[in-house]
Amino acid sequence: MKKVFVVLSLLCICNPCVADLTGDTYVQGRVDNIGVKLLNANRIQNRMIFVYTKEQKQKELSLSKSLTSRQIIVYDGLYQSVQTDDELAAMLAREISSAVKSYSGIWGGKLDAAQVTLGSKKFETVADKRAVDYMVNAGYNPLGLIVYINKTCPQKRGDKIGRHNLTSKRLARIYEYITYKYPSYLENNEYINNEFYQNFLLTSVENRKKLEQKIKTGSKEEIDYE
Amino acid sequence: MNKVFLTFIMFLFSFMQVNALSYNYSSTKSVPIKLKIVKEIDSESEIYEGQKINFITISDVQYNGKLVVARGEIIPAKIETIVTSGMNGFPAEIIVDEFEIPGIKSSQLVGTSVKKGQNRALWVYPLKWALTPIPFVGSLTNLIMGGHAKINSTDIFTVYYYPEWK
Repeated sequence: MKKVFVVLSLLCICNPCVADLTGDTYVQGRVDNIGVKLLNANRIQNRMIFVYTKEQKQKELSLSKSLTSRQIIVYDGLYQSVQTDDELAAMLAREISSAVKSYSGIWGGKLDAAQVTLGSKKFETVADKRAVDYMVNAGYNPLGLIVYINKTCPQKRGDKIGRHNLTSKRLARIYEYITYKYPSYLENNEYINNEFYQNFLLTSVENRKKLEQKIKTGSKEEIDYE
Repeated sequence: MNKVFLTFIMFLFSFMQVNALSYNYSSTKSVPIKLKIVKEIDSESEIYEGQKINFITISDVQYNGKLVVARGEIIPAKIETIVTSGMNGFPAEIIVDEFEIPGIKSSQLVGTSVKKGQNRALWVYPLKWALTPIPFVGSLTNLIMGGHAKINSTDIFTVYYYPEWK
């Protein structure tokens, strides 16, 4: 029996997959693995890299590095809120969908990248939906995106003037997208015992009522979420 | 000793399983499949995300001398995303994906088809900056909307089939 333990211990030490990596190296490795898995599983033929940093996020008006140099930056402040691989995949998938956009269009994608930043409300919704697709294709649960956004994005008073949608609207649109396109994740809901997901359900009752009404009537109209 | 050997074998097996990927992109062989839409659509008409639309192949597609898709075959696809036109000349976009080609797995296809409207931002922004010195006038360019996106029956979309991908 002792021999078995000795062999197992030796194998664990030799195997980098189970070696006890901590700190920045571990986080960078985790980010790289999940990021590249998202790229490969979605057959994204545009190059991009993933960088974990302890720096603070820059002000929003500057162009994101995912759009300029196709670097997906994972800020430590946001990473602290990530618990599961699904949530990290959600964070990365959102940025990947923006970076993909920066590859299309004239001037090497510069104009499209600028438009993503300037017209961010529209593209925010598009990026959220693409992130759901990317996650599903790579084998992650898209409800992780709801949990991640619910945890990390504040709720402003309105979005009439700002460049970003209200977080409650984003969450409702993502939930609707999953409801129509990937209903199995809601039928066999692995997040039903997750406190953050339950918090989303609690805070989205009115929006989900609107969705239920849309499903009932078979309407194709866009819902005006709160 | 047998137990040690068995443990070692089990470990190797589990390690191999962890590293088995569901894709292998070694092959560079690809075959273009050219398609055109059956019924024209417009971003301002009553279309919705998730809507099925039909394309038609415009020529025979062959690989290694074998017919993969015949000319005139109907290929269903989905409207993946609709971006409506915006202020400052931002164009509308229609993104089509999920082409269902008989006998070809979706994992062997590459190519999302995007159709954009006229991008007026190219001249709206220079105009806005030129008018900015006159108070409030520069802001009037906000009212200029981008062009609608329309997929015409003359638009040719190309998706690439990688026959040796898993």
